[in-house]
Amino acid sequence: MMNAYYIKNIVRFFVLVLVQVFILNKITLHWFTEPAGSLFIPFIYPIFVLLLPFETPVWALLLSGFFMGLTVDAFMTTAGMHACATVLMAYLRTNVLNALMPRNLSEYSNQQPSVKNMGWSPFLVYSGFLLLIHHLTYFTLESWSLSSFSSLLLKICASFITSMLFIIVYVLLFTRQSASRN
Amino acid sequence: MRNFILIIRRFFNLILFAGLEIICFILIAHSHTLQGDDIVSSANTVTGLIYKKHNDLLYYISLGKMNDSLMSENARLRQQIDAYRNSDTLKDMPVRRPLANTDTTVHVIKYADYVYHTARVINNSVNEVNNYITINRGSKDGLTKGMSVVSGNGLVGRIEHISGHYSSVLSIMSRKQPVSGRLKDGTFGSTVWDNEQPDMFIMKDMPQEAKIKKGDSVFTTSFSLFFPPDVLIGTVTRIDVNKKNGLQQLYLKPATNFRNLQYVYVISNAMAGERKDLEDSASKTK
Repeated sequence: MMNAYYIKNIVRFFVLVLVQVFILNKITLHWFTEPAGSLFIPFIYPIFVLLLPFETPVWALLLSGFFMGLTVDAFMTTAGMHACATVLMAYLRTNVLNALMPRNLSEYSNQQPSVKNMGWSPFLVYSGFLLLIHHLTYFTLESWSLSSFSSLLLKICASFITSMLFIIVYVLLFTRQSASRN
Repeated sequence: MRNFILIIRRFFNLILFAGLEIICFILIAHSHTLQGDDIVSSANTVTGLIYKKHNDLLYYISLGKMNDSLMSENARLRQQIDAYRNSDTLKDMPVRRPLANTDTTVHVIKYADYVYHTARVINNSVNEVNNYITINRGSKDGLTKGMSVVSGNGLVGRIEHISGHYSSVLSIMSRKQPVSGRLKDGTFGSTVWDNEQPDMFIMKDMPQEAKIKKGDSVFTTSFSLFFPPDVLIGTVTRIDVNKKNGLQQLYLKPATNFRNLQYVYVISNAMAGERKDLEDSASKTK
């Protein structure tokens, strides 16, 4: 059972990297940031950290987040920015889950955070909060200053909404329906 | 010492977190300096390979689009060459200008003004007596009847029927369309196609004194209203001499390969109408 989780997450790692690099990176949006004209792209790779099993130790979360971010960085030549944001997100993950889940995390053995065992609103709060942290960190690092604070904030909000949409689509697509049927 | 190890074990996650973030910041700081890119570039041997595979795929998929863009660039370049070649420089000799030249505009008189349109061959016949090629451009794209069509290698034909989006081109591999051809030394004659021998044009009755060798090129002349001058028709492959009167008969291999024709240029001459009117009125008064 545990091995299946490893393989599943490793496959998910590569699939997410490929989707992020070859599909989402080609989508440049300027929905709400139109007057400022700054472009942004939706990010889906943070969902890798979000969907790791409940009882993953913090050091493993940190390392997997770091490698995920670094891989995306290597493709996008944004040395370390994605890694930095993702590591911060991975560090906060356990605290957010502890606050949201009714029982201790070690009691959810062999399960991963999903809509099925969390419910829609806790899952959206969980993923939304961590994703917001990620975007906040990433775009702040990217702009490397707080000089144009309003446009930065606008960019974060717009990108966050778009990424959230993609994450919801991902969850809807890859939630196994067979378990809920029986 | 025991306490130290305990503290490390207690705050292991925090220390790891801080360590990873420090690594990230070092990477970011490196990338913001001039000589920075070293650390990322080592990873780029892998990412570069993946990007290259991805690009190869996209390259293959977009070959058609690329071909189209090259075609339009070729058309533009050909148009530019013709713009230089067909200007009548005699009229603009500096000596003929008045001494007090207040008029600074350059009057270049052209005797032809060619515009090139690109087109794709969508249907093609080579086996009939009169062969037609259908192309995917029509009157909506600014084509009219009688415009000449060339390929990258040589002459193809001229438009005979036209609809909104398509036109059918009477290829020079047709009995009803002789083309006047010119050799390098200026000797000219009419090239006809004989459908008994496909892929072969015949130039009859070339004068005996013309020195013609195998492999000589035959170009179009400027006599034709339809065809632009100096487009390659074909090359001489065989020479027969008539024993009675000494006239030579040339067999030409067409420059265009009609069997795998894919892209062609349609040439419109903006001054063809004027010339046609003049020549028509001249023949009427005869």
